[in-house]
Amino acid sequence: MSSVEPKEAVEATEPTETKKEKSRLIDDTFRRLLREIRPLRGWILLSALLCLLLIGCAVAAPELMGELVDKLYSWSKNPTPGLARSLLPGVGLLFGVYALRASLSYGNSFLLNNIVTRYFTAGLRIRLSEKLRRLPVSYMDQTPTGDIIDRMQDDVGSMADTIYGIVEILLTGFLQMTVIAVILFHTDWRMAIPVVLLSPLSVFLSAKMATLGEKHWDKHFNLGGELTALAEEAYTNYPTTKAFCQEEALQAKYDELSERHQRNGIFGNFLSSIVQPVIVFVDALAYVAVAVLGGWLILHRGVPIGTVVTVILFARQLSEPLERVAFGLSFIQQVKGAAKRVFTLLDLPEEVDPAGKVEGKTAGTVAFEHVDFSYDPKKPLIRDLNMAVKPGQKVAIVGPTGAGKTTIVNLLMRFYDIQSGRILVDGRDVSELSRSENRRQFAMVLQDTWLFKGSVAENVGYGCPNVTREEIERVCDQAYCDHFIRRLPQGYDTVISEDSTAVSSGQKQLLTIARAMLADRPILILDEATSNVDTRTELLIQKAMDRLMGGRTCFVIAHRLSTIVDADLILVLRDGRIVEQGTHKSLLNQKGFYAELFQSQYAI
Amino acid sequence: MRKLLSYLKPYKGKIVLATLLMAISAACDLLLPTLMSNVLDKGVYGAEEMDTFPYILKTAGMMLVTSLVSLASVAGGYWVVYHVISGYTWSLRSALFRKVHTMTLSEVGRIGASNLVTRSTHDVGTLNWVVSMLCGNLVIIPLMFLGAVFLCMRKDFWLSVVIVCAVPLLIGAVLLMSKKIAKLWEVSDEYCDKQNDLVRERLRGVRVIRAFNREANAHQRVTESTRIMSDNIIRANVSMSIIDPVAAFVLNLAALLIVYLGGVRMERGSGLTAGDVFAIVQYINIILGAIVSVSFAIVVLPHAKVAAKRLSQVTESTGLEIDRPAQGLHFAGDIALDGVSFTYPGSSLPALSELKLHIRAGEWVSVIGGTGSGKTTLAELLLAFRTPGEGKISFDGKDAATLSPKDIRNNISCSLQKSMLYAGTVAENLRMGKPDATDEELWAALELAQAADFVRERPEGLSFKLEQAGTNLSGGQKQRLAIARAILKDAPIYIFDDSFSALDFLTEAKVRKALNEKLAGKTRIVITQRVVSAMHSDKIFVLSDGVLVGVGTHEELLERCSIYREIFLSQTGGGAV
Repeated sequence: MSSVEPKEAVEATEPTETKKEKSRLIDDTFRRLLREIRPLRGWILLSALLCLLLIGCAVAAPELMGELVDKLYSWSKNPTPGLARSLLPGVGLLFGVYALRASLSYGNSFLLNNIVTRYFTAGLRIRLSEKLRRLPVSYMDQTPTGDIIDRMQDDVGSMADTIYGIVEILLTGFLQMTVIAVILFHTDWRMAIPVVLLSPLSVFLSAKMATLGEKHWDKHFNLGGELTALAEEAYTNYPTTKAFCQEEALQAKYDELSERHQRNGIFGNFLSSIVQPVIVFVDALAYVAVAVLGGWLILHRGVPIGTVVTVILFARQLSEPLERVAFGLSFIQQVKGAAKRVFTLLDLPEEVDPAGKVEGKTAGTVAFEHVDFSYDPKKPLIRDLNMAVKPGQKVAIVGPTGAGKTTIVNLLMRFYDIQSGRILVDGRDVSELSRSENRRQFAMVLQDTWLFKGSVAENVGYGCPNVTREEIERVCDQAYCDHFIRRLPQGYDTVISEDSTAVSSGQKQLLTIARAMLADRPILILDEATSNVDTRTELLIQKAMDRLMGGRTCFVIAHRLSTIVDADLILVLRDGRIVEQGTHKSLLNQKGFYAELFQSQYAI
Repeated sequence: MRKLLSYLKPYKGKIVLATLLMAISAACDLLLPTLMSNVLDKGVYGAEEMDTFPYILKTAGMMLVTSLVSLASVAGGYWVVYHVISGYTWSLRSALFRKVHTMTLSEVGRIGASNLVTRSTHDVGTLNWVVSMLCGNLVIIPLMFLGAVFLCMRKDFWLSVVIVCAVPLLIGAVLLMSKKIAKLWEVSDEYCDKQNDLVRERLRGVRVIRAFNREANAHQRVTESTRIMSDNIIRANVSMSIIDPVAAFVLNLAALLIVYLGGVRMERGSGLTAGDVFAIVQYINIILGAIVSVSFAIVVLPHAKVAAKRLSQVTESTGLEIDRPAQGLHFAGDIALDGVSFTYPGSSLPALSELKLHIRAGEWVSVIGGTGSGKTTLAELLLAFRTPGEGKISFDGKDAATLSPKDIRNNISCSLQKSMLYAGTVAENLRMGKPDATDEELWAALELAQAADFVRERPEGLSFKLEQAGTNLSGGQKQRLAIARAILKDAPIYIFDDSFSALDFLTEAKVRKALNEKLAGKTRIVITQRVVSAMHSDKIFVLSDGVLVGVGTHEELLERCSIYREIFLSQTGGGAV
């Protein structure tokens, strides 16, 4: 499958984020989040303005409704004709307020959606993509692809939710609460006190439940991940499971995990569901308190009835902003984890790139001088590696698995940097060159035939964006691709990708050879495929590779005997060291490790 | 669909209990506005004329009790509901998992492993999520609606008509909108997937991209797709955000209409009181709250439908393995195939045609051929993963079609081409074939498979934990562990399907030597593409496009079989013969 992925590196300690320290609402992540949304502040202010208007409506509506109901009450005490008509102006006004409220609320979410998604979320994703350009290959090797994609998609998406949380929910909620509180105090401070005292209680309770629920949700989601992994494993390993009759054992494991997963889900769901009833309950408490207090005030302090009714109506109005604030708080708490993961990725150290340029055409001399390298500082891999390759020479790299053959490719291409020593191309230390300048001298054909989603022609022309179609066809013909490309449904315009079945794996290999041929670089790196190709295609691949190698300095990770026998220089690698070098004949005569390696394939 | 619901059966009692609790809570919630309007009506407004304070206190006390009961019953209701849902989800998952393992390999292949994973995780999860969102509300909303209408009718028939008309109208509108929104979400999900694919492709191809200096282009592609994705997300979000204001607006209008009509009817002297009108307005607020909270769930309903449909495909799959009880047979190791043909479903060409071969007990045979020659199909037929379309496979002369697949598999130990390791320790993986193996036996098997060195290097030794699919091992290490596991299991027949491809020649030679000693006298079938893996075996079968084109020893085949010769020359370059 993948050829140049250093397993040693994968095993090295991964930068795991330590279990998040317990949560204050306003911490560094939160402050960073606020900083990130600063460029949007104009829009957010506009949205806040709309929110203010909305609150105006929200406050005015019950007030107007109260007046209407009041009219009904006073009519019952003192029936005079024309009640219905006297209601009309209020009804009309309230209709207007309701209409305004609906359109404002829609307008605000329209605005927020457009700003947040277009400028914030898309902007962050583009910045992350930009970041990927400058991260070292080692990061990609050590980090599961799914993890990076999660950060770019899900985590950024959740961060957008915080903005909704802050603007729509928290801001509106707090503003509305404040306005109502002010009106309450203004109307009658005595009745306002129980209301204002009880509302923090419900905020406190719901926040408590949210954090409590969060713990269970975290566990629930983690277990869910494990469950997915287990199912994935069981279904892909289906033949092995069956062959070893492991069905029951797996089922038991799966059931147990699934049960724990569900148990945490119950708590999480339960806690989220009762937040609202609890708020309603506290709200009812406030209502009771106001009613009792109000009745007493009317009787003993001569407070007018209208005042009490207004307070009662506004007390009822408190539950909505309270719910908003509660949800907003738990929202922010939830997505801070996501924001943290995104910021970690954005803040990773980038590759430093020198500015050195290559003048003229490279001849193709390559030398390693005392090169040391390892993926994991604790496990030295390549030690004191020396070699000298002349232009046009064909170098075969052989050795057991894990000896460091693919590491040589990583170092030549500067996917990884050497720790000491020098690599020279045409006598020039490559560490002085910019990476792209260095890479411009090389072409690679790897076992891992990476093709991107695009037409056959685009894939072949990948190294030279401005190449003509004729040129592409000519090269494909030389690389033995032309015949099968023409048989594809849309010929050179057929869209292929990594997992397309339109072309076989051997044909993909041929396409990568054509791609390298077209790029026409002085030095070539080849990784010979070992399997998964039928004999006829295999022969074509060999011929195409031979043609590609002509006149170029070549490094071949060799699996095929014919390549090795023809090589100008064979490097025998063992445990990261070149233990022998020479031609096939001279090495056989040495009767050393190479000879043993070579004979072993014919041993019984 | 009915089958999916049948998993709810064991929870009948609990469902009734939950409904009851929810109903109590709903009744309390309905009672509250009446009590509130009583406080206003008789208590506060009456306060000027007489001392209504005791009445206020009494009603307030009732309110307190009512809201407490409401809170307690709704909490209890949710508690029971979530137990039911989670139990239901659990049994659905468990049944699904079990079902997959009773399906044939063809059926698993037809649906696809990744689809099966999506079904047992994502689809079950979606169902669970939607059901739990709807559950409380589904019970409460109709109850609230009916209760509110009932109370309204008692107070005033004509006013209740307003509610009767407004609410269904609103729910209908929400449903209609949700359909359109669901479609928008589908499109936006599609673009998210596209974007993911693009990033995945870029990360996987980082070396090629950098080798050709095309990072700028890769970034450009991601940027463009991000923009398109954003547009689609915005469209879906904006459409969704219309539900909330519209629902509120319609119900507010209904409330307004009720106040006005209430005034009109009061004036005509229908006996309606101001308190009644106030109560009805409160009911509308309750209904509004319920509808808004359910509208989000309604939007995801289409997802649930899709999920349920896809789940049914698995639960109602008929491609099942023959289930015959194992009889504990012990084979000697003689295998014969007589005119065996096999064609994959949907394929026009047979993968194997009229295969006739005989492997004697204790023989070491190799099967060689390129990709698509039918080698792995042969292994799958032997392991009873597939049944031949025509012809007969027999073990010790017994027709495999009459045997239990379990018996056959107990007599075969194998190391398969891919996906062979499980997350867990090295020891757990090895013991799969022999649960009672001692640590010494494990080490001995590792030693033979040339895997002891790298296991020993780990401080945890046999307890070294493998990641899922063994991603913390190299390809060669994985193969060697699988070989060790195969050796550890005691069986008369051993199959190695492409098990040495990631080993270098030296290691393979050592493994081969070890196998020769350890498995002497056992039937050994080595399936390979490499001539060097096959050339020393007692007998080599050469497969090409599903047809047996040559049988014999290495020397015989070099002479007689042109395809074998071709393979040999291409792999060794005609080097040392």
